[in-house]
Amino acid sequence: MKRLFTLIRVALKVNFGLSVLYHRVFRQKKDIWIGLVAVLILISIIPTIYGYLKLVEGIYSALKPVGQEQALLTFALLAGQFLILVFGLYYVVSAFYFSKDLDMLIPLPLKPFEVMLSKFIVILVNEYLTVLPIVAPVLVYFGILGKAGLSYWVNALIIYLLLPVIPLAIVSILVVGMMRVVNLSRKKDALIIVGSLLLIAASIGLQFVFGRSGRSQLDANAMVNFFTSPDSLLKRVGAGFPPSIWATKALAGGFSGPALLNLLIFAGTSLALFYGMLVTAEKLFYRGLVGIGEISGRRKALSQAEMSRLVSSGRRPVKAIFWREWRIMNRTPIFLLNGVLTVILIPILFIVMARSGTGDNAFILKALGSAKSVYVILASACFLLICGCLNGTSSSTFSREGGQFWMSKIIPVTPREQVMAKFLHSYLIALLGVCAGSVLLILVLHLKLAVCAAAIMFGLVGAAGMTALGMIIDLARPLLEWTNPQKAIKQNLNVLFSIFADLGILAVLGFFIRVLTKAGIRGNSILVLVFAVLILLSWLSYWFLLRMAAKRYREIEV
Amino acid sequence: MLELDHVSKSYNKGKVKAVDDLTLTVAPGEIFGFLGPNGAGKTTTIKMIVGLLRPDTGTVAVNGFDTQKDALKCKSITTYVPDYPAIYERLTGLEYLNFIGDVYGVLKKERLERIENWLEIFDLTQAVSSPIQSYSHGMKQKIVLIAALLPSPQVMVLDEPMVGLDPRASHHIKGLMREHCDQGKTLFFSTHIMEVAEKLCDRIGIINKGKLVACGTMDELRKLNAEQSLEHIFLDLTDK
Repeated sequence: MKRLFTLIRVALKVNFGLSVLYHRVFRQKKDIWIGLVAVLILISIIPTIYGYLKLVEGIYSALKPVGQEQALLTFALLAGQFLILVFGLYYVVSAFYFSKDLDMLIPLPLKPFEVMLSKFIVILVNEYLTVLPIVAPVLVYFGILGKAGLSYWVNALIIYLLLPVIPLAIVSILVVGMMRVVNLSRKKDALIIVGSLLLIAASIGLQFVFGRSGRSQLDANAMVNFFTSPDSLLKRVGAGFPPSIWATKALAGGFSGPALLNLLIFAGTSLALFYGMLVTAEKLFYRGLVGIGEISGRRKALSQAEMSRLVSSGRRPVKAIFWREWRIMNRTPIFLLNGVLTVILIPILFIVMARSGTGDNAFILKALGSAKSVYVILASACFLLICGCLNGTSSSTFSREGGQFWMSKIIPVTPREQVMAKFLHSYLIALLGVCAGSVLLILVLHLKLAVCAAAIMFGLVGAAGMTALGMIIDLARPLLEWTNPQKAIKQNLNVLFSIFADLGILAVLGFFIRVLTKAGIRGNSILVLVFAVLILLSWLSYWFLLRMAAKRYREIEV
Repeated sequence: MLELDHVSKSYNKGKVKAVDDLTLTVAPGEIFGFLGPNGAGKTTTIKMIVGLLRPDTGTVAVNGFDTQKDALKCKSITTYVPDYPAIYERLTGLEYLNFIGDVYGVLKKERLERIENWLEIFDLTQAVSSPIQSYSHGMKQKIVLIAALLPSPQVMVLDEPMVGLDPRASHHIKGLMREHCDQGKTLFFSTHIMEVAEKLCDRIGIINKGKLVACGTMDELRKLNAEQSLEHIFLDLTDK
């Protein structure tokens, strides 16, 4: 047991870089600004948290008179678990199979389940942080608004701690099973991507099915059931994932018999799945893991003609770096899943959620079809920008180089040229997202071609600025020391900052449009003004990026 | 030609002096061996030469160009082989060599000729179209060496290039190093293998705790300590 605890402690330290951070902040007195940034981030999210709490309060007040307030808890718990299910997949594949420390761990006298458990605990801790902003405010506020007693708070703590276990254990079992099969094949990378896509598709499909069933239930029983049955809405929400209903009932009932029974079912299911995962780990983990990183090359000499065809000529640095970026991104499963595949997935997710009628997206998409064309263009452009830019491609472009950044430092290519090539690559991925979004706007919403074309124009200009902005954020503080490619993109704070910055820009533009409208400016003039602002912002971001590149490439030491 | 003029580099806000006032010159056509115990400052020095680290004080010049002020000119005539072949594993060997050829601007005729020749010498012809990920440590080291030779640079800087190489590859690389310098080019490399340094180098520098404690030809070093083998000279000079 002591061995296991040591392993888990080391895994947590490595994952969060605690030892390195301690050394840099307290020993070397470097990176003290991290504390300042953390405080700034906390301050910056206060308005968001406040808005969220207001929303929770509003929903609570609306549901309380009809006895449906528990549905709020189910909503939050379900959202948290769904998030864990989808994000957990990336975390699990990457941590279980692509951490570089696995080569060091496998030869140690550790049992397979111990190694996997140490990784599992790291993901678990990450998931506590992931769902914290979604679930914790609801749990706390619900308790405060309902003047809950001690029993509520005890149960809330237990449920919060157990919350990620069920979805993570399910994902882990599926992934370990999948990798066992994948490892039998030579085309491992391709199978990993296909397998991961199938799991994502399954979770989206689940959402679709439950969304549909929920809607049909609402249609069938109309509003009668909604008001008469004390937990009908709760049932409808939780139908997608029963554990969230058990957890809700455990929370609402305190220390009463039925509540404790529900808590027992919730905890029992969590533990059973956890145990199932450990058994699976012991049996299958190493069989799927050992040799997964080994790729057998084809070992065939190229003919003179092939060689002559494949070898290029002369100096063409931008092209060379562009292709390097393209190949490495698309051949590393974790990067591919977060780049090209994400920009295609976002529009699909959007439409599935809208079609299933569970989210606000249905309303957004319906509204897009009925509003004035100026606003349809702007809203569509916003949608296209979300499709193209809310991925980690640009904001991890330097971090993804990791330990290989030394090559970018020594090659005789100016930082300006290197950054231009990287910009082209990231922008191309963003364009792919804009295209995927456009196809859906035309095919699903039947948007007029002229309107869509205008939105695409806005999207193209805006995407250039957002791509440059993402790169600026990553260049300011690239995360080059990682052992797990997941860290370079999914667990990279730069990606998060960039998403916040992009959303911030969209919010500011929204505010700008509102001000223009209130000032009585007519439709087309708004379009021209917004377009001009987008061009200016994009040009400024790109200009700043190029200027910054020369300085940062010189400063970054490896 | 490589010139280091009063170069210093420290870490931990000056508490750890990795390289301390280092001055040395490597002439064209010279193989310079850089020796020192672990942590003596060899890799830090090498990283400053190739521009991976900035010296706190002093200057490094390659063929008369300052590595900080004329970085691009220096880079276009220098290649580097690190102590660990951390390269783009997801590219094939040929894609990697093409990348290097593209950024250094090697023409197709020379590129084809050199790649084919060195792939043959290092026995990588069969593996060149496979991802580098599938290579052994030694094969990775060989592909990095070929990449460093490809632009036919004026100055080559190698950090422990023999590590991981089989005896045949080691033999070939020593021959190529000599050939490189016979063309009037410069080669600076670090090693822990005393025999290689003794036989291959025109001059040797020994660094200990960041300071250059000895520098000269084998004969000059022997006179310095009245010792016969480089191993004894090294042990004597670094045992302080």
